[in-house]
Amino acid sequence: MRNILLIARREYLEQIRGKAFKVTTILIPVVFMGLMAAAILPSKYWGTGKHIVVAAQDPAFAASLRDQLAADKDAKVTVDVLAPAAPADRQALHAEMDRKQIDGFLWIDSAGDKPQVTYVSRSAGDFTTDESINSAVNQALVEQRLVKRDIPPTDVAQLTDKVDIKTMVYRAGRETPSSAMSTLFFGEGMAFLLTFSIVMYGMNVGRSVIQEKTSRIFEVMLATVKATDMLAGKLIGIGAVGITQIAIWIALGGILASSALVESWMAGAAKPQVSIVEVILLCLYFLLGYALYSTFFAGLAATCDTEQELQQYAPLAAVPVWLSFGLFVYILGNPNSIWSILVSMFPPTAPITMAFRFTAQFPPAWQIALSLGLMVLSIYIVLWLSSRIYRVGILMYGKRATVPEMLRWLRYS
Amino acid sequence: MSSASVAAPVKAPVVALDRISKSYENKVAVQDLSLQIDPGTMFGLLGPNGSGKTSTIRMMIGITMPDSGSVTMFGKPYARESLRRVGYLPEERGLYKKMKVMEQLVFLGQLRGLDPAVAGKRAHEWCERLQILDASQKKTEELSKGMQQKIQFIATLMHDPDLVVMDEPFSGLDPVNTSLLQDTLIELKKAGRAILFSTHRMDQVEKLCDSICLIHRGHAVLSGGMREVKSRYERDRVVINFEGDVSFLQHPAIKSFKNYSGQAEIQLHPHANAQDLLRAATEMATIFRFELMEPSLEEIFIRTVGEKIDA
Repeated sequence: MRNILLIARREYLEQIRGKAFKVTTILIPVVFMGLMAAAILPSKYWGTGKHIVVAAQDPAFAASLRDQLAADKDAKVTVDVLAPAAPADRQALHAEMDRKQIDGFLWIDSAGDKPQVTYVSRSAGDFTTDESINSAVNQALVEQRLVKRDIPPTDVAQLTDKVDIKTMVYRAGRETPSSAMSTLFFGEGMAFLLTFSIVMYGMNVGRSVIQEKTSRIFEVMLATVKATDMLAGKLIGIGAVGITQIAIWIALGGILASSALVESWMAGAAKPQVSIVEVILLCLYFLLGYALYSTFFAGLAATCDTEQELQQYAPLAAVPVWLSFGLFVYILGNPNSIWSILVSMFPPTAPITMAFRFTAQFPPAWQIALSLGLMVLSIYIVLWLSSRIYRVGILMYGKRATVPEMLRWLRYS
Repeated sequence: MSSASVAAPVKAPVVALDRISKSYENKVAVQDLSLQIDPGTMFGLLGPNGSGKTSTIRMMIGITMPDSGSVTMFGKPYARESLRRVGYLPEERGLYKKMKVMEQLVFLGQLRGLDPAVAGKRAHEWCERLQILDASQKKTEELSKGMQQKIQFIATLMHDPDLVVMDEPFSGLDPVNTSLLQDTLIELKKAGRAILFSTHRMDQVEKLCDSICLIHRGHAVLSGGMREVKSRYERDRVVINFEGDVSFLQHPAIKSFKNYSGQAEIQLHPHANAQDLLRAATEMATIFRFELMEPSLEEIFIRTVGEKIDA
């Protein structure tokens, strides 16, 4: 045990002092925050600063639509009205767009029973703007139709008053505020953290094996330490590096979450609810996921001679992780379907898919117990295979091992 | 003077291999090999590349297990705990490149059971002795290959092992450092340590070792004390330094010769009389040196292996 801890300590210190640790500790949250911001900000501030023109034959309808669009305070959109508009005005609006005086215009043709509305914009694929315009046009249209049926304007305002739906989630006998958006972000965040950590630290174990193989330190070490102790020390040391890094990220996340900037972004949004049991289970799934993948990568690395060879295998080993990610939306929508249950039982996909299920709906205890039990069993099997391959593979230099060779190594004592 | 005589204590061998064998699939790496190394001796394990030297050493120190036969270490059947008393310098040796020299030595010392303070003190003493104290705070990757080899040497010896096993210890070292490390090994031998050398450099073994075992294709083809092994072979080589007529080189006792200006290296026929040759040479030329030499280990090796190939 003393030697295992000495090896773990050495591995831990070497990684912590390395440049890669410092770079990833800073860079990963920055990239993650960037992705989150990219997802949140456009929906929050659609069409910020945009200048559009509402062109309609009916001045009253155009004015109503302008009021609807201007009601979105966050958007800060400038709306001009052109009413009554004639077909020739459309050419003039195109010319203004060419001169970049306006970003787009809404062309409303009221001929017939149902008005034809067209939004012409300089940029394609502006979904958030499209959605906001759609909502504003329909709201204005409803108001206009009601007015045409001689309903007094005060009644119209009352009739069309919008209601915000407050979503709550019922767990452990109490209701807590929740929203689909915050659940989505939280689930995505947890899965990203788990996926990234498991794959990255698993690969780090593999890389560390290759480096020791390349530096020819193994035989020196094996004259003192058992191969299995070396492997165990390496797994513990690099696992501790992972925990350190995640702890730094969580601490940074905590500081950021309470900062004014994030508060302003998240204003009004319900915060995802996480219980202490879920936190403990997520930690457990991280540790087991890491143990499973790193043991696998260690065995794989022992059969390779260079990091490049290991890199070639890596995507294959990471398939289950990315498969889990692909099932994200499905599991959130159907947390108790047979497929969601199966993937959360299958050890390579269990850690991430269980994280999804936690955010959607807490699974029954027996399913968690079974999934953890299967993971422990699979770790035992992979550890047994990997340590045998590792013991022989680390002393083989010069060529990549073939599958029949690896099978022979399993038989060597 | 005391009339009582005290019998010298019989020293048990530090390590003994008894008929060990190891095969990998269809390849026999080592077959029925036996040897033993006594305390205070240097033992040479000789053989060409791929002859089974490294496989033998790996079984000796438990990196691999023999298919048959047994290993006895410090008087007991092999057990991992014995490795605390062994220093092993493999042929495929390396260091952690990113670690500082002193940190690395303390780490390796701790793995061999030393307390960190003791490991630090010994590492410092050894660095001073091998003249690399200036480099002790540098990262290993910043050092030359020779310097790194000295660090590996220290890592092998700093826990004061009773058995030192070295696979090609001097490869890649310059003559000054080779001599420094050879002197260190001789001191260790005098201090009662058992040392096993594995090499294909016969000249080094000849100079340093007390006993040898020559391996060829996994078999021990020649073994015993250095003097005893050499005495099995006739003194049939002559070196003559001379001036004058060279026609004595046509003497019937000569099987073959190489003549450099003023020095002839001669191989005699089996059982030929060297004295006859000396007489003939003195009649024709002025002789400054006439030396009847025993065969070098290299020649013995080539002859023995050649015989085995022919057989």
